[in-house]
Amino acid sequence: MSSAAEARFRVQAPNSLPRSVKVIALDGVALPVVERLGRTGWRYASFLTAVAPDTLRDFAGETRSIPHEVSTADLVILVAGPGGQAHAASDIGAACSLRRVMTTGFLVGTAAAPQSEVSKTLAQLRPWSLMVVIAGSDDYLDDMMTALRA
Amino acid sequence: MLRKEQNDLLTGTGPDTPMGRMFRSYWIPALLSGELPEGDCPPVRVKLLSERLVAFRDTTGRYGLIDEFCAHRGVSLWFGRNEACGLRCSYHGWKYDVTGQCVEVPSEPEQSGFARKIKLRSYPLVERGGVLWAYMGPHESAPPLPEWEFITVPPSQTFASKRFQECNWLQAMEGGIDSSHVSWLHRGDLNSDPLFKGARANEYNLSDARPVFEVVESPGGLYIGARRNAEGGRYYWRITQWVMPSFTMIAPRGAHSIHGHFWIPIDDEHCWAWSYDYHPVRDLTETELGAMRDGKGIHVRYVPGTFRPLANSDNDYLIDRAAQKAGQTFSGVEGIAMQDASLQESMGPIVDRTKENLVSTDNGIIMARHRLLRALKAYTDKGVVPPGVDPQHQRVRSAALVLPPDVPFTEGAREALIARPAVAPASV
Repeated sequence: MSSAAEARFRVQAPNSLPRSVKVIALDGVALPVVERLGRTGWRYASFLTAVAPDTLRDFAGETRSIPHEVSTADLVILVAGPGGQAHAASDIGAACSLRRVMTTGFLVGTAAAPQSEVSKTLAQLRPWSLMVVIAGSDDYLDDMMTALRA
Repeated sequence: MLRKEQNDLLTGTGPDTPMGRMFRSYWIPALLSGELPEGDCPPVRVKLLSERLVAFRDTTGRYGLIDEFCAHRGVSLWFGRNEACGLRCSYHGWKYDVTGQCVEVPSEPEQSGFARKIKLRSYPLVERGGVLWAYMGPHESAPPLPEWEFITVPPSQTFASKRFQECNWLQAMEGGIDSSHVSWLHRGDLNSDPLFKGARANEYNLSDARPVFEVVESPGGLYIGARRNAEGGRYYWRITQWVMPSFTMIAPRGAHSIHGHFWIPIDDEHCWAWSYDYHPVRDLTETELGAMRDGKGIHVRYVPGTFRPLANSDNDYLIDRAAQKAGQTFSGVEGIAMQDASLQESMGPIVDRTKENLVSTDNGIIMARHRLLRALKAYTDKGVVPPGVDPQHQRVRSAALVLPPDVPFTEGAREALIARPAVAPASV
């Protein structure tokens, strides 16, 4: 069906190289979401958590430097929950800005959260995010990653 | 990207497909009221969701939408005679009422009751706001009538048109929620089209071609917010509404009317692009209506006697390379609607989404697909009524406004995103 007739005439060669996506949990609400995501097997994504405003750690427990992680990324996804605990957003965001790396802010756990708590996190993410997503369910992150070929 | 099976799932809308069945949960726009202006007027061929139908209006003014083909020998009833409360086949005189019930078979004795054994598939067709709406789902599941604001305001405040589009509904619809293309593809029209020019919003648009997007789920679909810097450290927001499965409403500009679209599958490789303009609190002016009829704004000029755009694939959309080079248009195609349609059709009848390379700013499209797939699964597995069927989901508005920097736009624009009679839209 899908353009079977038409697809015959389309160039079939690959049209892109893999992109490196770094997914970073910025707070305790985001951590289990990112941990779950990391366990589902992605080819081009790696998963980290911000243990201090200027320190990242991978899920093997290794400390990672923000400049290094950002410099090897095509896209950085900053995941945070309501409550304004996304303090690392500014250091990571500044590093991305310096290296012109695309950033997406992703708010999880917002369904039952007061708007004032969502606002606190938005205020932290917005200055550093070129795209902000507030999804009704956390599984959207999976679909987004798939859509972005992570 | 989408996997092939997901792409097939979302783009196939025939009667035996999951997406086709879900589409049949909704009242969908089928015809303009003007296509059936009076009782016993000529019937109209209608193809929707891969089914060929014929619409007619009987002597008493009732609307009918029935199988296009006579049950006798398969002749098209479009050639029929619309007379005396029924549509009579021109071949042997079989006659059908608006419910598809055969009421006369001239060759059979009237007393035999043979006619009562013949009934064509029919669907309810109702007039609302200048549009004829069809419901093609199970009779027992018919939802409440549609409540979109553009069909509930007085007739003097609204205008609708439709155009034939030569591609699958989904890629056309995705163009409607792809807000990031506006500053590029349509940049030449924002300050020249009579239905757009003069708004302060255009300056924000043109001074910042790289807005920041925020995508948030709404009860019926999505809010897609495009954020640009405004004066005093505040943000200028343009908030587009998408309501499932294929309704969009674009953020207004200044005092202009609000506009948007429906994309309704004709079959899997063609769709109707419906376009509406309305103002919640005032009549549309003669100048505005004249511009809309003349194909300005999101409307088009037609091949005479059809709903096919005058600029179409057969004439390369009348592309004007000189205008493109001079910067009058970005793509060389004139008019906002055909700028969109030309590129959407260029993708092919059904775009192969396994080959695309989406980027982060495509999250509106990604989330719309996510919501469609999720709703499709819930509908197919558990019979859950999909979002957008509930009239409450339809009473929405797009909005354009300036907000403080830390306010979620869904909070700052909470009131503005709901359709309220006689309340002016939030517009800049």
